[in-house]
Amino acid sequence: MVEASNAVVINGIIVFLSLCGIGIILAALLSNRMNPFGLSLVASIASVSVLLVGGEVLLSGHSVQTELWTLPFLGTLTFKIDRLSALFVFITGLVFLPVSIFSAGYLKRYLNRYNLKTFSIFYYLLFASIVLVLISGDILSFLIAWEVMSIFSYLLVNYEHEHEETTRSGFLMLAMSEAGTIMVILAFLIMAKASGSLDFAALRASAGGLGEVARWAVFLLSFFGFGVKAGLVPSSTWLPRAHPVAPGNVSALLSGVVLNLGIYGITRVNADLLPVSQVGPGLIVLIIGSISALVGILYAATENDMKKMLAHSSIENMGIITAGLGAGFVFAASGLPVLAGIAFIAALYHLINHSLYKSLLFLGAGSVDYAVGTRDMDRLGGLIKIMPWTALFFLAGSLSIAALPPFNGFVSEWLTLQTMLQSSAIHSAGEKIVFALSGAALALTAALAVTTFVKAFAMSFLGMGRSKRVKKVGEVRRSMIIPMGILALSCLLFGILPTYVVPVLDKTVAPLVHEKVADELVPPFFTVDKGDPKFGGAFVSEFHDLGAQVGRSYLPGRGLVILHRGLEKNPVVFAMSTSYTFIVLLFLLGGTFILVKVLTRARKVRRAAAWDGGIRRLLPEMTYTATGFSNPVRVIFNAVFHPSTIEDTKETVAGHFRTAIKNGRKEVHIIDRLIFKPITSFIQSVAVTLAKMHAGSINVYAAYVLIGLVLVLVVQRLLL
Amino acid sequence: MSKWVIKGLRTGIKTTQYPRKMETASGVSPGLPTAAKGTEKEVQELVFNCPTGAIERSGNQLTVDYNYCIHCFRCKRGSQSPMGWDYGYEWAANTKDSGANRGLGSAFNRSINIRFVDGGACGACISEIEQLNKPYYNMHRLGFFATPTPREADVLLVAGPVTDHMRLPLKKAYDAMPTPKLVMAVGACALSGGIFGPSFMSDAGVSELIPVDVAVPGCPPPPLAIIHGLLLAVKRKSSALLTSSEVRG
Amino acid sequence: MVQSLNKATEWLNLSEISANRWPGKIKVRCKQDRFICHMECDKSIVADVCNWLFSELDYSFASLVVEDLASEQLLTYIFYGGFGNGLICVSYRISNSTTTVPSISNLIHAVDWHEREIEDLFGLVFEGHPRLGDFVLHEEWPEGINPMRADFDPSNPYIHREVDPDWRPLRIVQSPGAFMMPIGPVYSDFAESAHFLLETVGEDVIRIIPRFFYKYRGIEKIAEGNAVEHVILLAERFSGTSAFAHSLALCKAVENISGIEVPPRAKALRIVLAELERLRHHIGAIAGICSSTAFAVATSQASILEEELLRLSGVLTGHRYLFGLNILSGLSIDLADDAIGMLAKNLRGLMVELNKLKKLLYFSSSFLDRLEEVGAVSLEDAVSHGLVGPVARASGLLRDIRKVLPYSGYEKLDFTVPGEEEGDGYARLRVLFAEAEQSVNIINQVASSLPPGSVNAKSFRIAPGEALGWVEAPRGASFHWIRVGEDGRVLRYRLTTPSFSNWHGFHLAAENFAFQDFPIIMATFGLSNAESDR
Ligand code: SF4
Repeated sequence: MVEASNAVVINGIIVFLSLCGIGIILAALLSNRMNPFGLSLVASIASVSVLLVGGEVLLSGHSVQTELWTLPFLGTLTFKIDRLSALFVFITGLVFLPVSIFSAGYLKRYLNRYNLKTFSIFYYLLFASIVLVLISGDILSFLIAWEVMSIFSYLLVNYEHEHEETTRSGFLMLAMSEAGTIMVILAFLIMAKASGSLDFAALRASAGGLGEVARWAVFLLSFFGFGVKAGLVPSSTWLPRAHPVAPGNVSALLSGVVLNLGIYGITRVNADLLPVSQVGPGLIVLIIGSISALVGILYAATENDMKKMLAHSSIENMGIITAGLGAGFVFAASGLPVLAGIAFIAALYHLINHSLYKSLLFLGAGSVDYAVGTRDMDRLGGLIKIMPWTALFFLAGSLSIAALPPFNGFVSEWLTLQTMLQSSAIHSAGEKIVFALSGAALALTAALAVTTFVKAFAMSFLGMGRSKRVKKVGEVRRSMIIPMGILALSCLLFGILPTYVVPVLDKTVAPLVHEKVADELVPPFFTVDKGDPKFGGAFVSEFHDLGAQVGRSYLPGRGLVILHRGLEKNPVVFAMSTSYTFIVLLFLLGGTFILVKVLTRARKVRRAAAWDGGIRRLLPEMTYTATGFSNPVRVIFNAVFHPSTIEDTKETVAGHFRTAIKNGRKEVHIIDRLIFKPITSFIQSVAVTLAKMHAGSINVYAAYVLIGLVLVLVVQRLLL
Repeated sequence: MSKWVIKGLRTGIKTTQYPRKMETASGVSPGLPTAAKGTEKEVQELVFNCPTGAIERSGNQLTVDYNYCIHCFRCKRGSQSPMGWDYGYEWAANTKDSGANRGLGSAFNRSINIRFVDGGACGACISEIEQLNKPYYNMHRLGFFATPTPREADVLLVAGPVTDHMRLPLKKAYDAMPTPKLVMAVGACALSGGIFGPSFMSDAGVSELIPVDVAVPGCPPPPLAIIHGLLLAVKRKSSALLTSSEVRG
Repeated sequence: MVQSLNKATEWLNLSEISANRWPGKIKVRCKQDRFICHMECDKSIVADVCNWLFSELDYSFASLVVEDLASEQLLTYIFYGGFGNGLICVSYRISNSTTTVPSISNLIHAVDWHEREIEDLFGLVFEGHPRLGDFVLHEEWPEGINPMRADFDPSNPYIHREVDPDWRPLRIVQSPGAFMMPIGPVYSDFAESAHFLLETVGEDVIRIIPRFFYKYRGIEKIAEGNAVEHVILLAERFSGTSAFAHSLALCKAVENISGIEVPPRAKALRIVLAELERLRHHIGAIAGICSSTAFAVATSQASILEEELLRLSGVLTGHRYLFGLNILSGLSIDLADDAIGMLAKNLRGLMVELNKLKKLLYFSSSFLDRLEEVGAVSLEDAVSHGLVGPVARASGLLRDIRKVLPYSGYEKLDFTVPGEEEGDGYARLRVLFAEAEQSVNIINQVASSLPPGSVNAKSFRIAPGEALGWVEAPRGASFHWIRVGEDGRVLRYRLTTPSFSNWHGFHLAAENFAFQDFPIIMATFGLSNAESDR
């Protein structure tokens, strides 16, 4: 059994890597015109193989480990897939599959402008490197894969290199990413020094030997280092700049997969290799997460560029995930493993969800951009009539991200918020206050997310087209719609079947918190008997009394997410069921539909245009713009946005004839304003003296970093 | 704020008893000319002096077409005019367009939403219509409500001769109403164009554009006449005549 | 007022000063007894002359009258001064074929809408005016057809033209994401037809662009060729809420031309009725302000008083809106002395109620919060935009026609012109209350010393000629200019109404405000579209 499972996994990885190789060769051979198709075909198969690998490990639970080869001085390169890796690998496949299909159509827009061969090659390399990062079993292979992944994601973002804007954003992305990498390297070095080995297993084993200072150092370096990739405050600035310049499909990957790697890193180091043993780091993670969430959503709410808005929203979602992790760390350090488990489950659940809906939304935004040629929501509008399928799936994505049931965002955000409420179990008042504030921040975030995505959907798809281009377009090709459909369906399924997802996540989390919480969260109350020792009599009888077991032989499985303290009186802490909500919702909607049909069957339905006050023609200029819709947020949070010029400039001719009122508004992102501006002005003065060292080419910088990395590792090895 | 409550309570009930009882207060209506019989000279003078041609003669018998009369009082204030004057206010009448199939039906008897469209009225009609919303007449007690959108209106209240620029808005408002719907033309201008229409900028009344069901004559029709019109629209009152009947004897 | 008195001396020297300034280019004729001075000048200096009157001598712009005469076109700018300074008509003639004339609205902004209106209706292009077209006549009106031209046939409807699909309303706010909220022409519960485009980027409204003349009935055109009696009907019925004031202004103009003497009793009763109308209008406006702030009890209280005044008018004159009263040479009916006594007695009771209401309102902070500092207009703006009536007086511009150009015997009465300085919604409310009180005071004065006699002349002849009639209508200064032909028919009728003057300045109050204040600003201005659109 174990053997068979191992074989599947190892063969799967081999198949995947060879598919990437075949893809690269094919890309080089195929013509520019055929390349998108080839990419889509091979990468889809590769995604399926990845899904199989991830799925196998997730379900069977057998970690697979292989040693590749040994490098002189540096040790052995190993691959290891445990459930945590497998989860991320699985999500990677889940996103790569639809995005690869989508690319076939989407890439056509670049046909005569850019070299599609290089795009395909970068794409495979990125895919492979991401998987390799996730299955690396030692520091060296991890870092090499990490660097490759960073460079190729940069190259893909920078694909439309003809634009000045693109290059600048790409450079910022690379620079910040490398800064993060250096911090990560330092964190690994500290751990490696203590264990004397680069192997993860060895690091894990020797974790206990690290002193207080070293632990803090590892935590801070790894958290903020990986935080760059995850787009957490304060190193989030690269995200909203990189996204709008990246091609639509790359954006989906960036948000749906690459950001996850940051979370993977944080989890791997701080929950697995060197588990956080104090409350402090947990609180830092919680605070940074909450701030990221709030700052992200505030800027998302007021942004009019669809992709920039989605990028800010990625910061928000990464923040929510991080806040969940932070809560988990605090609970774990406070000796509350069950709550820690729930918090980690919530975080990882949100991670899956975010990958799904964010890549869906990016594909939607890409489709709109592809069809209309603009992503400015002020200039869109009325697209639902022209692009009904894109609109439908974008709506599904919007509902998911706005955390409305029965879609997936609701489940994970609900769990996260409920977890925050469980802080009552902690004793320290100070910690409780941090939890309360974070909870409030997250609740505000959730509310603003609704505003943001009501705006995103309504301003882009409803109403009247606000620019002439909108009228000329049509729906995108089917190969682009189907992947969005797949993702939208996944969003729905992950939303209505949490009771099947939670146990899988529980098994992933269990090794980290040394506790299983599946029975706590999704108890089998249909089947449990009164005498079951694990569930208190009070708990079971409560369900019996409610008649919860009435349908035990008809209902297919558990449908309720619940937190309970099984042995107390009133044991239920919280409960919800999207599965049942969904069923009820279906009946309600269907029932209403039928009822209306029956009641009005004798009536003639007359359709008339919306009432416009009787003016000759309602013009698109007379409908709400995205800016107008989000202006209340801008006004309320003026202190955060802190626009530098709000004075209107008024132009007047002939004494009293006002001809123009212009309102120039310049904003500097709060993070740039409060953190980077002061630092840059300091560094700039220093830099003037060091300027001569700069060669000015990005490739040179990349080379510096790679050389530096190898040098550091060699030196470290020699020292030991 | 409590002072306001006391003030309101102190004021007591001001609302008219109409339609339960006829309103007897003076000054609620300018009245309308009825009909007259007179000498040849008198008759000629009256017909000549009427600015809107509302007075019609057959022999020495005079009748008044209320579609046109604007209460200019010229037929009353001349020296010893034989013109009779009626101070009532139940003037609203069905028009030839108001067929049986256009009724609102009994479901609407005690709840009607009214959308008002100003087709170029002078402001007096509008002021009188506004009085319906105010304590003395308070149409809410009868189940009549004003609505800002024609989408939920059952009755369209139109005043004014319908100026050229208001034709399109009026038509749009009418088209936006769900069926069943009624149109009520309020005031002489809305019935015949009054002294403004027809001209290069005004029509000769609302019926030129959309079918009118209830006509309320008067310039302006007093609030009670408009209430009578609304009650007529829901068949809670009977129709008056748009032309005065002849004087007998 | 002291300053204006000094100016009065200068007025006497008008002819000398102007002859020195523009030698050979200006002819001045002054009728000292009637306070009217005619200046006929060259087209080239008209802007300078008008600017001299407006900026240096403190005259206010009243009206611009264009006449399409048989052989030439005559343009007359009418100005009125402070106390004792009378009226000045600055006119110049151009040939029938001339289509461009100089614009003076960059110097005197109050002329702006007059020039726009004339461009639409006469086809005269005012050179230098930055915003012509799409004013009285909307976008579907055929190009090049000008209804006020003598050769235009007003009896038939015109043919609409195809509206240009790319036609766009004017926009002023150019911030990214700015859009327009359209309101009307059919809006609110019982609002008059008017269309407003509120320019905004969400939340606050930055600028308001009104589009009017939905109610344009072409009164000035349909008056042409009609008997004066018929035109009096038009004057009283184009704006039903200020019928008496407007019919009075027209009657006075014609009486002036024909030298008809109005009996003293009629003069006195005209004041009573004009003030009764003002009182009713102001109380209605107060009710409107209360209702715009959704203050139900106060609205009801004011409305009760309004309806009581309507009934009182009905009992007194037979018509609730005082229609059919003004005729040439006086009034169509006499009001008995005891009827006037009854009126005065009733008004005293009403005044008690009104004062109670005023006190309650002035101490209701939630109500005042919505009015104070809302829709403020500065004195400077009020002067430059030519605002009139209670709105102008709330901004400190105290020019009341009853004082500066007294008519019908107002000069013999003792009353004050209430004014405020803030120019906000609350100031306008206070002016309304104070003026209502003054109206009652005037009625009481007249009622106590009503002269005996008849109320109209039995016989008179309508003479040909032209004259201006003026009146302080409830909403402010109104000027009716009329030219009567040889056959006693009207050749040209020009109507300048306070609503027209004040809508022109409405946007001053409606700049940078919260959307929910829009109805309040509207209500405190208390304007009528029927009166402004004509
Ligand atoms: S009151 Fe009526 S009927 Fe009599 S003259 Fe005037 S318009 Fe004609």
